[in-house]
Amino acid sequence: MIIGLVAGAVAFLATLIAAPIGGAVVGLGVFALVAGSVLGVQRLLTWAAGLGVFGLALAGYAGAAPEPLLVAAVALALAWDITDHGLSLGAHVGRDGETRRSVLVHAGMNVAVGAGSVAVVYGTYAVATGGQPVAALTLLLFGAVVLISVFR
Amino acid sequence: MSEAVAGRRAGAAASESDDEGDDAAEADVEPTVRDPMHPFETERWVGVAGAALVLIAVGVLTRQPGPVLAGAVGVGYGLYARFGDAPVATLTVERTVSDDTPEPGAEVTVTVRVEHVGDGRIGDVRLIDGVPPGLEVIDGPARLATALEPDASATMRYVVRAARGEHRWEAMRAITRSPAGSMERETRLEHDTRIVCTPELSAGSDLPLRGLTTQYHGSVSTDIGGSGVEFFATREYRRGDPLRRVDWNRRARTGELATLELREERAATVVLLIDAREPAYVAAEPSGATAVERSVEAAGQAFSALLAGGDRVGIATLGSPDCWLPPGAGTSHAVRGRTVLAADPALAPTPSDEPFHPSPWFRRFRRRLPADAQVLLFSPLVDRYPRTIARRIDAYGHLVTVLSPDVTTRSTPGERLVAYERRERIRTLRRAGIRVTEWGDRSFPAAVAGATRRWSR
Repeated sequence: MIIGLVAGAVAFLATLIAAPIGGAVVGLGVFALVAGSVLGVQRLLTWAAGLGVFGLALAGYAGAAPEPLLVAAVALALAWDITDHGLSLGAHVGRDGETRRSVLVHAGMNVAVGAGSVAVVYGTYAVATGGQPVAALTLLLFGAVVLISVFR
Repeated sequence: MSEAVAGRRAGAAASESDDEGDDAAEADVEPTVRDPMHPFETERWVGVAGAALVLIAVGVLTRQPGPVLAGAVGVGYGLYARFGDAPVATLTVERTVSDDTPEPGAEVTVTVRVEHVGDGRIGDVRLIDGVPPGLEVIDGPARLATALEPDASATMRYVVRAARGEHRWEAMRAITRSPAGSMERETRLEHDTRIVCTPELSAGSDLPLRGLTTQYHGSVSTDIGGSGVEFFATREYRRGDPLRRVDWNRRARTGELATLELREERAATVVLLIDAREPAYVAAEPSGATAVERSVEAAGQAFSALLAGGDRVGIATLGSPDCWLPPGAGTSHAVRGRTVLAADPALAPTPSDEPFHPSPWFRRFRRRLPADAQVLLFSPLVDRYPRTIARRIDAYGHLVTVLSPDVTTRSTPGERLVAYERRERIRTLRRAGIRVTEWGDRSFPAAVAGATRRWSR
């Protein structure tokens, strides 16, 4: 819950730095995340995540720099993941159950995955900046999407 | 034991057949029987790929690198969500209780140690212990969420309040998730633990019985003249009457010989019939003792009091499963009665799942009931059936006394209605000549003492 809050705050600030309009929307999303986890409403969390993604898209449209946007994306994913995880723990174990270890491991995995993704994506971007960045990245992503489909 | 379970393990669990060796190594503790279920998708990450593609599309359309990169991170999460399966919880459970034969109301500390004996880490496992339904956890949740490396262990400790009966722990549920939480699997971990809680039968006060008795001597006053203590009648002297019962005062006054008749005191056969149907599992408050619990407590007091008075006492339950202790007397019978009241499944702290069929039950009960037996029916009287059954038993010539724990409350109109209906039922029973006594907050012996003053023989 606290990790989720911190991550949500980070997402909000990062997007705010990138583009104020997007930041406002992400802030709304984070507020919904908090409300959802306090009230224990999973649907609210899903809508909050959707709102956050919309905020990110808006910030991107407004011409945000890629670095804060990446941080915001990972932080948003972490915030949603931890609050949703906390909610499922609450359903299984109850509010007063001992859950710290489970939450920490889960958050650690999420951060590791986010950091790994950012490293790969940003590395590729930095290398490919000389050429046509967007087109090259899109092609790369097309490959990644094919990869996901194979996993399915 | 493990082999027997191996057959039940679904195909999804074929990969963990190598942990049986570990089970055999831990022969000193009770083995844990594992029953994994099929994993299923939690659908947590549904839509993450879509969201990623939307971001990428925004980036492509606006020729901005930012959203494209954010979307690419989203694709990374999408891959993460597909990574890994929910592992089978290859855990051994070791459950120890501080006291396996506690007194009722005693606090029993339960320590559960869970050890990961498989290989491969379990990043997310939620353990929900199968606390018996009749026990109340009063301290600490019987649940735990953690992550376990191979050979790591976790311990949880909680306190339950012991209640009458035999309590067997159900399977512990272990819910494991894949690292991203996209797959979930439940494994049932069976470890046999039980506690048996047998209350002492506290001796109650004398219970007023009705006049249906056996031919044996006992403590129930009858309307039969003979030898006894209390004056009953006088009659003409017959040859062979004992000299000490000749009415000498009358002889001196009138010159006639007369014999004093004294009220005979005889033993009764009593069957304590306890209403243990599902409707009888009601309590005045959510955490309070149910009517069945209070009936059993009162029946225990009646049982020991009647046995001490020389009567023959049996126990039966109104409900399923079947429970019947034929009337008897003596020390071994007292022990049997105590066991039945403490741990018979028919009187379990929670209602049984078996359906109750009134007609076959009544036929069976009547066949078993000795002809000279009277019945003490313990019932909260919150539905119509006990009233019917009391009148039917009474109609067959067995004198019935209804003893009813009052569990009704009067704070809402609905509760007042139930209480009113119950009062009406009691009134109907009394009109039909059946003795009824009820006890609410008062103790059972106090209520009986009060009723004894009221009832005329």
